[in-house]
Amino acid sequence: MKRNTLVLGAVLLILSTFAWAGWANYEYRKQAADRLLASVAKGELVVDASSGDAKFVSPLTGKPAPDFALEDLTGKKVSLADYKGKAVLINFWATWCAPCKIETPWLVELRNQYAAQGFEILGLSADDLDKDDAKKLADEKKDIGRTADQLHIPYPVLIDGGSLDKSYGGLDELPMSFYVDRSGNVVAAQMGLTSKDEMEANIKKSLGD
Amino acid sequence: MARSKKWICVAAALTALAIPAGWGQAGSTSHSILGGAAVEFEYPEQVTIPAGKATEVALHFRVAQGLHINSHTPRDQYLIPTAFSIPDGAGVQLADATYPQGKDFTLPASPTDKLSVYTDEFVIQAKIVAPAGNHLVQAKLHFQACNNAMCMPPKTIPVAIDVIGK
Repeated sequence: MKRNTLVLGAVLLILSTFAWAGWANYEYRKQAADRLLASVAKGELVVDASSGDAKFVSPLTGKPAPDFALEDLTGKKVSLADYKGKAVLINFWATWCAPCKIETPWLVELRNQYAAQGFEILGLSADDLDKDDAKKLADEKKDIGRTADQLHIPYPVLIDGGSLDKSYGGLDELPMSFYVDRSGNVVAAQMGLTSKDEMEANIKKSLGD
Repeated sequence: MARSKKWICVAAALTALAIPAGWGQAGSTSHSILGGAAVEFEYPEQVTIPAGKATEVALHFRVAQGLHINSHTPRDQYLIPTAFSIPDGAGVQLADATYPQGKDFTLPASPTDKLSVYTDEFVIQAKIVAPAGNHLVQAKLHFQACNNAMCMPPKTIPVAIDVIGK
């Protein structure tokens, strides 16, 4: 009887140890997966050995652009999927970003030039939003709207772009642009102010020219 | 009994194998491609001021090379001004702060648009009122940094000062 109790106790101990080890292993693997996702999903600057120029390399290039559904300035939900079949430039910007305001007139010109070929730009504001304070939120939306008006932006401006930080590989620097082809794949990415020519070349790439 | 011991040994060995080698490793940290700290508080770490009397303290900050931050009075209303603050309940009060004038700065891609910025070292004259005693103050500096081509989101850094009121 005593021996049976001892064996039963040992079995229970073993089973609980296995259960703990399984849980510990699951937690470890989850953390490792999160770490891997965080490292893989980050873009980086790679210096070209011959020219010495730094080029932004995004892990999203060649992959489907992560879908999203964000509100525009009128409160209407706009998703990337709405633009299926079109070439889309996803441009992250902010009201406080001076280089963003320099490139915006180039974007507007290029958008008007290539719209007829099935090209559109989505301007995703990465401005912080006080979602818990209705008055502040309304003011922040107004500020984004005013800036968009000042810049004569004709394309949809979506708010809360910062919420896509993880899926788009970190938005630690602005402006940041992703060029999506008609099949929904990212064909090029840009970080920082580049040039109108480079943007145009990427737009052509997204259109399949 | 001997069989039970054997079981326990087997279980212990299997458990050891099940526990991952890297268990307990720290998680990843966020980073900026521009790297490092955009602004650092240089000094003073400690000041002694007359108790109860508003006293000017020169706070020295340094902006990382290649970066600039908006001055306290940027020219565009949507650019984030640099601002120093001492939170309520810190034990000392910020009576006033005098900021240096910003330097004119233009981005190469837009030479006609002048920005008002701080680069390299800048000094904020903070008028502080402290009661008698030793106060470890966690003040704050709010700013937004850019280089010639890109900007980082607005940031607040801690400014730790040991304020002694005598």
